[in-house]
Amino acid sequence: MSAPDHDHWADSTAAYLLGALPDDDVAGFEHHLETCVACRRELAELRVAADALPASAPPVTPPAALKTRIMAVVESEAELLSAAGEGADRPAVAPAPARRRGWLSGLLARPAPAAALAALLLLAGGVGGALLAGGGDEGARTITAQVNRAAAPDARVSLEVDGDGRGVLVGRNLPPPPRGRIYQVWLLRPGAKAPEPTPALFGVSTDGSAAVAVPGNLDGVKQVLVTHEPLGGSRAPTRAPILSVPTTT
Amino acid sequence: MPPDTSSRDLASLADEELIQLMQRGDARAFELIYERHCGAAFSLAYRMVGTRNAAEDVVQEAFLAIWRSGSRYDRSRGSVRTWSLGIVHHRAIDALRRTIVHDRRRSSDEGVAEQLEARERTDVEAARREEARVIREALDGLPAEQSHVIELAYFGGFTHTEIADMLDTPVGTVKGRMRLGLHKMRDRLGAKEVAP
Repeated sequence: MSAPDHDHWADSTAAYLLGALPDDDVAGFEHHLETCVACRRELAELRVAADALPASAPPVTPPAALKTRIMAVVESEAELLSAAGEGADRPAVAPAPARRRGWLSGLLARPAPAAALAALLLLAGGVGGALLAGGGDEGARTITAQVNRAAAPDARVSLEVDGDGRGVLVGRNLPPPPRGRIYQVWLLRPGAKAPEPTPALFGVSTDGSAAVAVPGNLDGVKQVLVTHEPLGGSRAPTRAPILSVPTTT
Repeated sequence: MPPDTSSRDLASLADEELIQLMQRGDARAFELIYERHCGAAFSLAYRMVGTRNAAEDVVQEAFLAIWRSGSRYDRSRGSVRTWSLGIVHHRAIDALRRTIVHDRRRSSDEGVAEQLEARERTDVEAARREEARVIREALDGLPAEQSHVIELAYFGGFTHTEIADMLDTPVGTVKGRMRLGLHKMRDRLGAKEVAP
């Protein structure tokens, strides 16, 4: 610790604990703490008071629906992490979480993420229909997706499978993926511990519609899943699925 | 060793044990952490952002971050409750500094009537109410200029420079009041020895 450095930060301990240091100063103060015993000691002393402050807030009961929403996300992520096994990346610390209200409009207000990449794979709903028409009709079916309502409250998505076992996901009212991320399609096969990635990455058009061909044949696939992932996709899911489609009955 | 996930009575486990289970993806362990601390978390968030809707957003963001970052919990730096409420506090400050909530709070149509008193259901809650009363008294017992800057900073989410502008007071004075105020609060709360 140098004296001028300590003089500069000496009065900042309380502000730091109260969250009142400007963002630009936080890293500097934390760097100073690494070498300043006096500031570390004062930080520990004052933390007792700062940590007590939350308890002075008047008690207000959270609504039961809040827990329901949070647990819906947690349970779906736990399920996915379990399916992905040890190789799965834990979701990042501070992702944009699903939000109850204002969330969809907030995302829609953002610029379309990864527009160029998404454009390669984004198909209009009509095109998806055309692809379907190319397959055999015998055995064709449409399966409604199970949508994570916390993440996509108004989305309606179905998997249209033609007679040859080729599938197209068709969605409406989908939120665009968060900034810097893109939707990715995954296939879960019976007995597999982890879903396998596909190169099918897609965005959402401005009206919330999307359609994407699921690569390969769906014979032997138990579930089709969609998560949002970093641009370029992931080898193992990093987020809970926004939707899943059971392909076997 | 963390406890067996098949434990029939997760509710008997300490927070620190539940965090270990949560790190392994146990949603039930997380649920218990939520149930134990959601009241304090929501009260803090509501106190800071001023509306139920905004408080719900803050608590949702905070608890999902807790679920996703359980491995970052370091028991040597405090209890799970303190750690959780610290995350709530940071999320609420983020919300306040996005300014939206500041505006919403100022034009809130929900008012004080929204401050629904939590029902006193257990001895634990009764003890916490008593704890809150003691802390409130310690805060209210400070000289007004000290409690004011502490409240503006901690619950208002304002930086020391914003508070200095607001009060037309030098930044150094504001920082000094915060420091003095926290020292006095600590003394009043009866802290004895604190490790550096």
